[in-house]
Amino acid sequence: MYNTLIRNILRFIVLVLLQIAVFDNLRFGNYIHPCIYVIFILLMPFDTPVWKLMINSFLIGFAVDIFNGTPGLNAAASVFMAYTRPFIISITTRKSDIQDKNEPSISEMGLQWFVLYSFLLLVIHNLFLFWLEAFSAKLLGVVLLEVLLSVPISLVIIILLIYLLKPVKNKSNY
Amino acid sequence: MYNLFIFIKKYNAVILFVLLEVLCVIMVVHNLPYHNRKMANVSNSITGGFYKTTSNWNDYLNLKSENELLAEHNAMLRSRLGYENYENDTVIVDEMFSYVPAHVINNNTSDRNNYIIIDKGRIDGLEPDMGVICDNGVVGKVVNVSTHYASVMSMLNSYSIISCRFADNQYVANVVWDGRDYRFGLVKDIPSHLIINKGDTLVTSGFSNSFPADVMVGTIEDAEDTENSQFNTAKLRFSTNFSTLRFVYVVKNNYRKEIDSLCITR
Repeated sequence: MYNTLIRNILRFIVLVLLQIAVFDNLRFGNYIHPCIYVIFILLMPFDTPVWKLMINSFLIGFAVDIFNGTPGLNAAASVFMAYTRPFIISITTRKSDIQDKNEPSISEMGLQWFVLYSFLLLVIHNLFLFWLEAFSAKLLGVVLLEVLLSVPISLVIIILLIYLLKPVKNKSNY
Repeated sequence: MYNLFIFIKKYNAVILFVLLEVLCVIMVVHNLPYHNRKMANVSNSITGGFYKTTSNWNDYLNLKSENELLAEHNAMLRSRLGYENYENDTVIVDEMFSYVPAHVINNNTSDRNNYIIIDKGRIDGLEPDMGVICDNGVVGKVVNVSTHYASVMSMLNSYSIISCRFADNQYVANVVWDGRDYRFGLVKDIPSHLIINKGDTLVTSGFSNSFPADVMVGTIEDAEDTENSQFNTAKLRFSTNFSTLRFVYVVKNNYRKEIDSLCITR
């Protein structure tokens, strides 16, 4: 419990810093905006209640927003994503599969499942984000193009980052 | 009352979801017209320091190209002075305008309404509505000023309108941005009898108090001819490259108050 808390706080800080200092400055093109801070929401333990998930998502989204000067934008998309997470988990797994699992990580659930799970949630997150950002100014086609291009890039970066940032596994458990 | 508690307990997730989303959407809508502007005063001093650090790191990556650009600019200025003035070692400066050099510490080109944050603020004498230019051309206007930082509405913004004229025939038009590509803008309100060619140059008109006259804005990229309307529209290639912007100059108009006082009295 205590361990999880510290790990989550560290994850929060590292991911927000990475997002605002690195990935918001990368320009792959006009339509590609990689969102990597969603790793924080993706990796929350299975037994986290929805309200806790949503409050945490709100906080990380808002932290990114403050630095981007777009209050509420990322926060809204993250809360929406957190709200749909239990539903996505329930349609991609059987209940018996996740009973003895701790968190939806690659090491516990396998890469194939994780790609599907994060792909679905990223599509939800980006659709909501770009739609809310465009609101009236941009066309629907532009939003769909942004989602189509951003999601695969974000997904690849997220999976690479998870392998990079994973703490070294010690088999003997100290 | 008891039923209410049961209800809240049962639907706590839905209620919290709706509450948070409404809160977010209110914040988004509230900030929509000027996005940064309201938030800027609060967050400028916090995020400004952070962005200053990251931009310090980034600067090392651009040192070479930045040096070349500055050398080029130096050469241009020296050629403008001419040898007579150069030997005199006194320079006649434009008294109406003075310039404050500033460093871009945060910049965006991908949103619909883009803002730039620079590292000069109220203590350097900056005020809202001052113009911002760079070596290559017009950048935008200062919209908000904190003690050490200022936010600039770049030309890549749906609320930005810059008054311009054609360099060769003095006709006036307005430059706006359609939100598609950071390299191109739109020239509006061109009188339809005017024949526009690709490559025509647009400079600032000097009618606004924010910019001196004859600062480069861009060149015509594509002129479309609409027969019916009174005014034509053309595609403009900005002379400023917004995605690699590092150094800018804030334009101070020394007679601004005097000119403004004339405009108020009718």
